[in-house]
Amino acid sequence: MKSFIDYIEETFQGEKDDGTLYRYKRMVMDRMTERANEITHAGLQDEQVLYDLVVSEFPRLKENYKKFSAEERAKKREKFLNKFMIFGTVGLILALVIVYLAVSFLTDAWRSTWVIIVDGILAWVVFIMSVFIRRVSGMRRIFHPIARVLLGISVMCVTTVLFLISMAVLHLPNSWLIYPFGVTMIYVADAIYATVTKQKLRIINYLIYIPAAMPMLYVFLGALDIIPWHPGWLLMPLAVLIDLIIVFAKMMSNKKYKYKPEVDAAWNEN
Amino acid sequence: MERKLNAELWDKMHYLFRDYNDRMVHVELHYDFELDVDVLKTVLICFFEKAPVLHSSFKDNHVSPYWIVKPYRIDDILSVSYPTDVDSAVNDFLTQYIPPDSDIQMKVAVFFHDGKTTLCIVENHMCMDGGDFKYFLKAFCKNYNDYAERKISPIDLREGSRSYDQVYNDFSKTEQRMARNLYKNVSSKDNHKFPLTPDSIRDRSFIARRKISAEKLAQVKAAGKKHGATVNDMLLTAYFFSLYELANYNAYDSVTIACAIDLRRHLKDVSDEGLTNHTAWMQCNIPERGQTIFETLKYVVHSSNQFKQDKFMGLYGLPLLKLGYNILPHAASEEIIKIGYSNPLLAMSNIGILEVDKLALCGHEPTDGFMTGAVKYKPFVLLSATTLRNVVTLSMCVRGNDEDQKIVEHFFDLMEKNLDTLAQG
Repeated sequence: MKSFIDYIEETFQGEKDDGTLYRYKRMVMDRMTERANEITHAGLQDEQVLYDLVVSEFPRLKENYKKFSAEERAKKREKFLNKFMIFGTVGLILALVIVYLAVSFLTDAWRSTWVIIVDGILAWVVFIMSVFIRRVSGMRRIFHPIARVLLGISVMCVTTVLFLISMAVLHLPNSWLIYPFGVTMIYVADAIYATVTKQKLRIINYLIYIPAAMPMLYVFLGALDIIPWHPGWLLMPLAVLIDLIIVFAKMMSNKKYKYKPEVDAAWNEN
Repeated sequence: MERKLNAELWDKMHYLFRDYNDRMVHVELHYDFELDVDVLKTVLICFFEKAPVLHSSFKDNHVSPYWIVKPYRIDDILSVSYPTDVDSAVNDFLTQYIPPDSDIQMKVAVFFHDGKTTLCIVENHMCMDGGDFKYFLKAFCKNYNDYAERKISPIDLREGSRSYDQVYNDFSKTEQRMARNLYKNVSSKDNHKFPLTPDSIRDRSFIARRKISAEKLAQVKAAGKKHGATVNDMLLTAYFFSLYELANYNAYDSVTIACAIDLRRHLKDVSDEGLTNHTAWMQCNIPERGQTIFETLKYVVHSSNQFKQDKFMGLYGLPLLKLGYNILPHAASEEIIKIGYSNPLLAMSNIGILEVDKLALCGHEPTDGFMTGAVKYKPFVLLSATTLRNVVTLSMCVRGNDEDQKIVEHFFDLMEKNLDTLAQG
């Protein structure tokens, strides 16, 4: 009678072993032995049946090995990223200080060069948050609100980076306008996130965000003279109109999924 | 490491039914030979390993309940005995109750007597319904034969998802969306009761049964054909008519009997599904008794035909239950569902044919047997019907007293009388 080792070895005959395969074989072997012990404890005495039963619980070993291998690689990447974030933070701070001092001494522009430190740190925070957003998004839906909050904070950090460059380095007038634009971008980013991750009832997000973002957009476009203040205010009723169109379109789309059974009356009688 | 299984929607629903019944499904099969206990043990262990929910304990977690897979020994599941009074031993075994937090959810008994075998199985309805239990029995017999005769390992049992939403799998995308939007409370609101005695602490579980002969069934079938009625319609008509007489309902009262329907009718292929529940209720309603039983039959046929025309038959209410269990923690959702759900006071489950060729063990077909649903707590009742060798066994499992048993027996007398009338029509 064949043993579990024979089954595993035969399945992976000719497969290149780079260490990962050994770990996988070991894991499968341990699990098979554990299952065999459990089933024997239950009272099964026929060894052939025991073998067939346990092997039937471990089908498609090769396919599963590919998944295991991919998971191992992902784990390694994650470990590397964790180390990179820890040591990178220290390294980045050192690098930023060196760059800041070097640029400041060379240009003597001390009034502006502090932006290097602040923007550098903010950009690093955005990078770390993007890693967490990706990880949280891979978790159960119940955790997705955390990712959405982090996304909003990230957008605001990017907005601040742009604002500081605009104000302290480029000395542009109306730099503050970047903030209302940033708020609009928070809504846009969250709506995109809801769409990409197929959140339930995301239409409610759209319906709230459109009228909420429009005043910010109005201020931004109006202050930059891209649109006149009057009749630019029409953007607000336009937002309500867009909402109504979305609601109407959704209702029309849902209508074709409405099922009117012929037994409706029978249900009501009860 | 502790293995956990997801508690599916129907597991939770059947757990909620603890106020209405004992949730046990019963089967009894008679064979005219002594089956091999060692083979039986091997097959049972393999099946329990293939369907781990059968050796799991239900954990009533207030937030989200689940099953914990438990170790077991075959002797916990199987009992073998040589009783002197077989009927009493069978009855004692079948009326037992397996608590959901028990380590095993199915018990099997083999009673040997005079060179014959009576095989009895009791299982928790939370694990599977009558439809899958029938499949389980057929797979059990096939695997038993393959192992006993050809030494083929008995591991051929369906495995896969136990989720309620498998019923939508064979619908088109549009149909799926339609079916998943059927938010409707389809609970029965009829207050007509089966005339049992009030609850008492002395009540005990009993299974009353009555056989309808093959000749009578043939007559009923032939008569049904004339009226465009199925056997199910005929049984239901006799049930309605007998109830009016037994309980003295006003002849002009509208009465509803909930009929169990197998939701697997919506699936073309169930080969990759786990053992689970896919049963819902269809509320069969008649507006009045009618002057004769044939008028009652007309109402029943009309009512059941209406349901048969509905392509989403039985799927109403599922999205509502899903929503109920999804939005709140389990403890709260149970309370909310209890408010909206009303358990049918009168119900019928036609489990269908137990095919003797598929239930044969080593060439020995079962000589007799039946399957029945849970023991209902008063005032709820469920009439079960199974057909084996063209003999219909009507059964009713009740937790009651001797008086209740007499009432149920009288009800069966009326059923027989009314089926006779229908057969002559």
